[in-house]
Amino acid sequence: MNSPHSFRRREVLRSMVGGSLLMPGVLSELLAAGSADPLAPKRPHFPAKAKRVIFIFCNGGVSHMDTFDPKPALFAADGKTMGLGGGLSNQQRVLLKPGWKFRPGGQCGTMVSDLFPKLRDMMDDICLIRSMKGDDNEHANATLGMHTGSFFFSRPSIGSWVSYGLGTMNSNLPSFVALAPQMPYAGTQIFNNDFLPAYHQGVRVVGGKEPIADLDRRTRQKGQQELELGLADVLNNKHLSTRAGDSDLSARIRTFETAFHMQTEAQEAFDVNKESDATLSMYGMKRGDNESFGWQCIVARRLAERGVRFIEVVDGSSSKNWDDHADMAKHADHAKRIDQPIAGLLRDLKERSMLNDTLVVWTTEFGRTPGVDGTKGRGHHSACFSSWLAGGGVKGGLAYGATDEIASTVVENKVHVHDFHATILHLLGFDHTKLTYRHGGRDYRLTDVFGNVISEMLA
Amino acid sequence: MGAEAVFYRALNLNGSALTIGGHAWESAAGAKDVKVSGKTFENQKVLLKPPTDTARTQMIRSSVWGSKVDVELGNVPSGEFQVFLYVWEDNNNERFDLLVNERVVMAGFESGTAGMWKKLGPWPCESVGGKIKVSAHAASHGAANLSGLEIWSGGAAVPKLAKMPFVETPTADQIAFFEAKIRPVLVEHCDKCHSAKSEKIKGGLLLDSRAGVVKGGDTGPTLTPGDPAASLIIQALRHTSEDLAMPPKKMLPAQVIADFEAWVRMGAPDPRTENTVAAVQAKSTIDWSKARDWWSFRPLAAPHLPAVQNAQWPVNDIDHFVLAKLEAAKLKPAAAADKPALIRRATYDLTGLPPTPEEVAAFIADSSPQAFAHVIDRLLDSPRYGERWGRHWLDVVRYADTAGDNSDYPIPQMHRYRDWVIAAFNRDLPYDEFVRDQIAGDLRGGANDEERYQRTLATGYIANSRRFGSRVEDYPQHLTIEDTIDNLGRSFLGLTVNCARCHDHKFDPITTQDYYALYGIFHSTRYPWPGIELDKKQRDLVPLVPVDKIAEAEAARAAREKEQARLDKAAKSLKEEMKQAAPDKKKALEASLAAAEKAAKDFARRPLPFEYAYAVAEAKKREDVAVQQKGDPAKPGDTVRRHFLTVFGGAELPANSQTSGREQLAGWILAKENPLPARVMANRIWQHHFGRGIVPTPNDFGKQGKPATHPELLDYLAVQFRARGWSVKAMHRLIMLSRTYQLGTARDEDAVAHDPTNELLAGFPRLRLDAESIRDTLLTLGGNLDLTPAGAHPFPPQSEWNFTQHNAFKAVYETNRRSVYLMTQRIQRHPYLAIFDGADPSASTPARPTSTTPLQALYLLNDPFVHEQSRRFAERLRSFSSDDTARIQRAYELLFARAAQADEIAAGKAFLANAARQLREDGMSAAQIDTESQHAYVRALFRLNEFVYLD
Repeated sequence: MNSPHSFRRREVLRSMVGGSLLMPGVLSELLAAGSADPLAPKRPHFPAKAKRVIFIFCNGGVSHMDTFDPKPALFAADGKTMGLGGGLSNQQRVLLKPGWKFRPGGQCGTMVSDLFPKLRDMMDDICLIRSMKGDDNEHANATLGMHTGSFFFSRPSIGSWVSYGLGTMNSNLPSFVALAPQMPYAGTQIFNNDFLPAYHQGVRVVGGKEPIADLDRRTRQKGQQELELGLADVLNNKHLSTRAGDSDLSARIRTFETAFHMQTEAQEAFDVNKESDATLSMYGMKRGDNESFGWQCIVARRLAERGVRFIEVVDGSSSKNWDDHADMAKHADHAKRIDQPIAGLLRDLKERSMLNDTLVVWTTEFGRTPGVDGTKGRGHHSACFSSWLAGGGVKGGLAYGATDEIASTVVENKVHVHDFHATILHLLGFDHTKLTYRHGGRDYRLTDVFGNVISEMLA
Repeated sequence: MGAEAVFYRALNLNGSALTIGGHAWESAAGAKDVKVSGKTFENQKVLLKPPTDTARTQMIRSSVWGSKVDVELGNVPSGEFQVFLYVWEDNNNERFDLLVNERVVMAGFESGTAGMWKKLGPWPCESVGGKIKVSAHAASHGAANLSGLEIWSGGAAVPKLAKMPFVETPTADQIAFFEAKIRPVLVEHCDKCHSAKSEKIKGGLLLDSRAGVVKGGDTGPTLTPGDPAASLIIQALRHTSEDLAMPPKKMLPAQVIADFEAWVRMGAPDPRTENTVAAVQAKSTIDWSKARDWWSFRPLAAPHLPAVQNAQWPVNDIDHFVLAKLEAAKLKPAAAADKPALIRRATYDLTGLPPTPEEVAAFIADSSPQAFAHVIDRLLDSPRYGERWGRHWLDVVRYADTAGDNSDYPIPQMHRYRDWVIAAFNRDLPYDEFVRDQIAGDLRGGANDEERYQRTLATGYIANSRRFGSRVEDYPQHLTIEDTIDNLGRSFLGLTVNCARCHDHKFDPITTQDYYALYGIFHSTRYPWPGIELDKKQRDLVPLVPVDKIAEAEAARAAREKEQARLDKAAKSLKEEMKQAAPDKKKALEASLAAAEKAAKDFARRPLPFEYAYAVAEAKKREDVAVQQKGDPAKPGDTVRRHFLTVFGGAELPANSQTSGREQLAGWILAKENPLPARVMANRIWQHHFGRGIVPTPNDFGKQGKPATHPELLDYLAVQFRARGWSVKAMHRLIMLSRTYQLGTARDEDAVAHDPTNELLAGFPRLRLDAESIRDTLLTLGGNLDLTPAGAHPFPPQSEWNFTQHNAFKAVYETNRRSVYLMTQRIQRHPYLAIFDGADPSASTPARPTSTTPLQALYLLNDPFVHEQSRRFAERLRSFSSDDTARIQRAYELLFARAAQADEIAAGKAFLANAARQLREDGMSAAQIDTESQHAYVRALFRLNEFVYLD
C-alpha cells in the first residue's frame, strides 16, 4: 500500500486557477464534477442579477421615525396624546418628537435623519421601504419572523432557503455564514436549517481568534495533520475499494479535504490584515480589529468575493441593541456603530463592481412607537417600520410606501415581511411559491402561503 | 332607472383644487354655481384618525364651520344623485344634523374626538329646481366642520326597506347591466382567487356564480342587497381597511366601484345559473367509505406467506416476504455478514455502543445455532438497551429539557419523563400500556403509589408540548395544544392531524371538526406552567404523594410559600431601613440584612419535602370547544363534541362529560378496529433496525407519505406485534433472527444496478452511527464513559430564575454520561448535536437525516473533546502493550470489532515511524514522541469511514 495523496488533486486544480478570487465558481464546479454534491451551484427559476445576499440585521427594533421615515407632523405634535401608541401596550401614549433632523440625500433627495449621514449619501443606490409591516411585537417572535417567515414555529432561515436554492460557488467555505459575535433574539433558530438538509445550516462566525468553532488546527507540529489525513485517506480508500459505488463513503472522504482547506481558506477570509488602510478606513476600522461591526462588514464583502451565497451580518445581541425603551438618545450610539461600516460596504462593493450582483439587505425586527415609553424612549411597533435593499436588481433612489403622519401605520404600499421575502427571492431568480421543500407531509416555503413580489422595487 | 352612477363634481369646501382618488376636486371658493355659507377654518397640525393619504388629509383639515352651514350647487341637471360629505373634528365632540335638500339624512351625528373624520353618505337625492343643497344644523353653540362634498350622478334610489332580498329574476336591463359592468370585472379581477377554477379558493368565497355570491365567504355575507355601505364587497373594493382590500394590489377605478354599488343597490341581479358552491362542496366533501379504503386505514389481517422458489433460504417468516420480492425482481440476496460485522451491527443497534473485544471473541467461539440469539438476549437485558431505544422514542416526541417560549425556561423535572421512557423500554412495557400511560396515565391510578407516580410521570409526554412567545395576556395556548395534537397524530397514528387546524386536511380524511374535537380534550387538560418572562414561577405541577397525603402536600407547599414570602419581606424591609438609617447605625444593619438575605435565599434553595412531576391533570373546566375559524381563536365557529377521528368511526364523549376525555382517547386510538398504532410502531421498530422504514415516512401514513416497500411484511409485523402482547423486545428477536437482518452489506452488481437504493434488501443497508453513538463510542474508547443513569440537570435553582427574551436561558452542561442524558434545549441547539444531525428538539424527528458536511470533518480534526478522547484512548493502548503491532491490533478490535490485516498493520507502523521522524525533527524528546505519535495515529483512526459506518 503506497501513499497516494488524494489531496493532490485539489492542489493541482487550485494551482491551475492560480488562487484568483474571481475563479472560485469555476474551481468549485470542476471539483464538484461527477459528484452528487448537495451544495453544487444550481440555477434559479429564471435569470437574475443578484447572485448572493448580504443580509444586515439590527437587533432590538430600529426606530423608523428617527431614521428613514421623516414625519414633520410628529415634530409638531410632541406632547400630544393621539391615537394608539402601538406596540407592546396598545395604549394611548403622549407622542414623542423625533430626536434628529432630516435632510435630503443623493440625487434622489430621499430624506434621511442625521443618525445616518453616511448612508444618506448612498441613497441613490438604496431602495428604501417605509411601509414594512410585521405580525408580532415581541422581539423573539418578530426576529424569527424576519428570518424564517414564521413568527412562532421554528422554520428554515432565509439563508438556508437561498443555500438550498442556489448551492454554493465555493465548496471550501460554508454556503451560509452568520457573522454574529453575539447571539441574537430567538437564538440559533434564526440561522438554523431546521428541516432543510444540514448542508444549509448557517455557520456562525463569532470573530476574534477562532472565528468558527474548530477551525484552528489543534495539532501544532508542522505537517502532522497532513500525515494523519494521509493515513486516513489510505485506509479509507482501502475500505472504499471493497465497497465500490457507495457514494456516501466517498462523499465523506471528500469532506475531510474540504475541511482541511477550510482551515486555511476560511482563516484567510477572516483575516483582514491584507486590506489597505484606505479600505479599512472606509469601514471605519482600525488595523488589528477582528470583531467590530466594521470587521463584520468587511468580512461580509470578503466572503461574498469568495463565493459564499448568503452572509448575514448581525448587529448587537438580544441584550445589547436598539431596544431603547428608556432613552431614544442612545440610538445615536447604535447608529454611529453601523453608519460608516454599512456605507463603506456599499461603496466598496460598488468600487469592486460587485454591487450589481450582490443584494444588500438592511432590516430590523420592527419599528418603534410614535408615543413615548417612559419619559424619553419608545416601545415596540410592528405595525410599520423601515428597511432597505440595495444592489443586485434593485431600483436605487426609490423611497417606496408611506406611513401616516405620525408613522403609526402604513397608508400606502404595505410591504409585509412575507412580501419582503418574496421580493428578495425574486431578485435571486426564484418564484417564491415554487421554492419548496417537502417535509412532514406538505410542501413548505419561506413565505408560507403568503407574499407578493413588489415589482416597483425592481430595476 | 339611472343605474350608472358617474362622478359629477367634488368640492374642497375650504382650500385649493386637488386630486383625490383619481377625481378632480374643485376649490369651492372659485367654483361655478356654488354657494357656501359658514366661516372658514384650517388646522393642518391636527392628526387625523384614521390616517389617510396626503391629499385627502389636506382637504379634510381645512373646512367651513358654524352652527348652520349650507352648501348649495346650482345649475344641476335633473335626475338622481348620490351625495357624500366629508366632516371632521378639530377639538371637541360636536352634535349636529345633516340635511340634503332640507330633508334630514342623519340626525344627531357626533363628530368625535380631535382628528376624527368621516366620509358620510351616499345619500340619494334628486335635483330640485336645478339645485342640490347640503346643510348641517347644530345646536346654537355647536359647530359642524364640513370639509368636502362629493356628488355622483345616477345610481338607483336607495330602497326604503332596510332589508331587500337578492333579485330572483333579473330584468333584461339588469342582465345587460350585469353582463356589461359586473361580470367582466369579476372574471378579470376576482376569478383567480374566488372561483371553482382557482388553484386555491381564498376566504371561502366564490364569486363565479350567483350561489357563491349569495352564500358569502368565511368573513360573512358578500353583500347586503340594497345597502352598498353595509356590504363587504363594497368595503373591500374601497379598501376601507388593510385586512379587507380587494383586489389586494390596486384599487379598481372609482367608476367600477360605483358600478358595483349600483349593482348592490339593485339587489345584485345575477343571471348566472351554474352552482359552483355545490360543485366545490361535492369535490371537497369526504366520501367516508372511499376514505376508509386507504391502505393504512384498512383492517389488519395476517397476510398469506408468499411462496418462494428457494425454500431453503428463509429462516423465518420475514424472509419469505423479502425473498419473494427479490425473486420477483430476479435479484439474489447477498451472503451472510461475517460474525464480527454482525455482532458490531447488533450491539450498536440495540445499545448504541461498540462490542468489547471479549464479547466479539465469545461470539466467534460460540458455534451453537443459538449463538446469535444469546447475543440478542444479552443485549436486550442490558440497561444500555433502553438508553438507545428510548432515545428513538424521545426523537419522535421532540423531547426537550426546556419549554421553548422566547426565554426558553428550564424544566428541571422533565428528565423524569425521559427516564420513564428509558425504563419503559428496558422493562418491555407493552406498547399499548406505553401509549395509554403517556396520554392518560394520571387517570389510570395504579396498584400502588409507585405505579401511580410512574403513570403520572408518563403524561410528561403531553406536558412537554412546546410553549410559545412571551405574552401573558393573550397567551397562545392554542399553539401549545396544536403542538400536542400534531405530535399525538404523528407519533401514535402516523397522521398529520394538525393540518386540519385552519381548514379540512387537504389530502387525508381529517376535518376541522375532528381537529377541534381533539382540541376539546386538551383544552380540558391542565398543562403545567413552566414560567415565562413575565410570570416566572412554575405552577400546576403534580405532587407525587400518596392519595391521602395530597391535601397535606398542598398545605405544605402553601406554608412554604408563606414562609418564603415572610423571609423575602423581612429582607426587603431591612433594605429599606438601611436606606434611611443614620450612618452610625448602618454597620449593624448591614450585618442583619446580609443574614436575612441569606436566610431567604437558603430557604428558597431548600428542596421540597416531596417531589413534583411536570405532568398534566384534568382541567377545572372540562368542556367541548368551538371550531376556531382559520385557526384563529378570536373567530369561534360552532362548538363540536369531543370525539375521535371520523374516519375511524368518530366515537364521541357523552354530552356534558365530566372528564377531559384523555382516557377515552387512548382507548379509541388503541381500539382493535384502528390498525394504525400497530402498523406505525411495527414500522418504527423495523426502521431503527434497517435504517429505513418499510414505510419510509414513519410519521405519515397518509396520502402525502410514501408507500410501503413491503406492504404485506408490514402487516405481518403489525399482526405479530399485537399477537405478542405489544412486546417491543419480542419484535427485536423476531426481526434480528431473520436471515434478512443477518445479511452482509456486499450486494452483487445486479442488485446494485437494478435497485440502487436497496429497497428490496438484497443486502443489509450500510448504516452510519448517529450523533449519540459517535460521542458515546469516543467516551467508551477513552475509558471515561460514565454509565450511571443520569438524574437531574444542574439547572440554577428556581428561586434565581430571571430569564427574559433578552437574556434567555442558555446552557451546555458538560458530562461524561451517555448522550441521551445531555441537556437538550428547544431554542438553542446543542452545538455538537446540531453538527451531527441530532434530533430536532422542537418538532418530531421521525428519522434522523445523515448529512455529510465539512463541519463534521472539522469537528473530528480539531475539536478539543476529540483530541482529549484520542489522548485517553492512545494512553489505554500504550498501557496495553509496548509493542506497536499489539497496540494496532488492539485498536482495531476496540474500534472495528475485528483483527487488523497485515497491510493495515504495516500502514500503521509506517505512519508511526513517519510521525516519529517528523516529531524528532521538531525537537521532541523520545518519551514524548511515543506518546504524541500514538495520539496522532488514533486521531487518524477516529476519522475513518469504518469508524462511523456499520457493515
